[in-house]
Amino acid sequence: MRSGRVGTSLSGVTAVNAISKRNFKAHWVAPTLRELKRRKVIEEDRNGGQKIFHRSTFLEWNYDAEIFAFSNRLGEKFNDSSLRAALTHKSYIERETARLSDVGVESNLQFQDNEALAQKGGEIMSKFINGYLRAVFTQVPEELIRAMHDFLTSNSTLETVAKHIGLGDLMLCADFPCKTETYVKSFKAVVAALAESSGEEQARVFVQDLVVTQLYGQDVNELWNPVDPVGNLTAILKREGKAEPEFRLIRQSGSSSILAVYYVGVYSDKNFISEGAGESLEVAKEMAAREALKKLFHTEDSMRALPFGRQLKNIQSKIAQLENQPNVQLSEWI
Amino acid sequence: MSNSHLFLPSGFIRTPLQNGLGRYIPQLQRITLKFCKSHGGSRGVRDFIESDLMEFAKTNPGTVVYLKPRRHRSPCMVAEYLNGEREYLSCHEFSRDEVHKWLSYMCTRSGIPVMRFRKYQHTDYPTIQGVWNPFTHQAPEINVAEFPHEVLSKPIDHGPTATEQLIEIFKKTQMEDPAK
Repeated sequence: MRSGRVGTSLSGVTAVNAISKRNFKAHWVAPTLRELKRRKVIEEDRNGGQKIFHRSTFLEWNYDAEIFAFSNRLGEKFNDSSLRAALTHKSYIERETARLSDVGVESNLQFQDNEALAQKGGEIMSKFINGYLRAVFTQVPEELIRAMHDFLTSNSTLETVAKHIGLGDLMLCADFPCKTETYVKSFKAVVAALAESSGEEQARVFVQDLVVTQLYGQDVNELWNPVDPVGNLTAILKREGKAEPEFRLIRQSGSSSILAVYYVGVYSDKNFISEGAGESLEVAKEMAAREALKKLFHTEDSMRALPFGRQLKNIQSKIAQLENQPNVQLSEWI
Repeated sequence: MSNSHLFLPSGFIRTPLQNGLGRYIPQLQRITLKFCKSHGGSRGVRDFIESDLMEFAKTNPGTVVYLKPRRHRSPCMVAEYLNGEREYLSCHEFSRDEVHKWLSYMCTRSGIPVMRFRKYQHTDYPTIQGVWNPFTHQAPEINVAEFPHEVLSKPIDHGPTATEQLIEIFKKTQMEDPAK
């Protein structure tokens, strides 16, 4: 049944924004509506939430038109069969065959599910994301690349992307409201269907435009931090042949109060590398080492803006090349 | 003058899913035009459907257009957006041009509810060089300086005082008179 109950209101499901004109209502209208709403709220609480219906239960619904609009909205060309397979879930096929066999009809359903496509889509999406990250963050160790990749391919990120390109109404699945895994699977399958239909380059640009852009506004240093920044910095400087890092107190204020602040600077052979601030000397020392590592990896707060969209035209070949070349590990970073 | 009397929510300008950063995706998912086939109030909508609707559908292939004739009901349009929001607009006694105008208005919306923009720009990176703190631009010499210090105790960029300026002028007049 394409209806369900929703405990907490989903965004936009209940709200209907009306561009209203001035109206003069009779004196009994407002109290009547207020009472009806009160009773409705009681009924919904008793039934466990508001009743929601899938868009396909409406009279005005044309699945073929929706699929056509979906591909045009994204500006991509899909093979019809690939796209329909990408949007069909195993649970839906099982439910339909069960329903038909209950009625007594022999089911020769020609549906193809999206299990294989989702698997393939997940792999190529990871590949494209890693290629972009390694091409843009050339000096960054592989651990941070992996953290950024895990953030971009996390269920929450992919579910948001899938919902906002309109997959919610197009998916054929047994669960309603659709689960996170369903959205994620559909999205990965759509990526694979696109690669099949229009080629790998188109699929790469698609993933860059929709998934990688979710990195915008995200502080990459919040996704991953080295466990022992002081030790890592010492090792890196030793490998580079430079002098050992020397930590010096640069500034301090309010040392006997709660709002104490210490600025510690890192110097290598009397050359200033970076400074960090903290509420105690140990914290400030660690922050200074982190800042030094950020400077080495080019991920400081003042780093270059990430390129998206048309700005990637010139580095697409570099991205494709680096898809299979992981960056240097932190333990060997130079 | 102030905005507190407005019952309009306010916020910063935003876009769903970083639209436009990678590619631009038209946010109008589908539009349903409901009208009556005979009533006079739907005349504008009927004229629009007969003449301008095909062109609209061709220029917006990413939007599904549904037509729903309903007898004895005034016309309206319901726009559904990719973020799940809906917009309802009554088209009763609209002219054909008005229908066209409001339909193209719906195309420009993103489904984010109408709100008063507090600022017309938004950034996730408000500072590049770092936020000022009292230690910014402080000379490192203050760490080892003995106060009161000749240079550091004085305010920076003080400039010459009036007395010093007069002394300078006097000295200049002294030098320009070689006869003495």
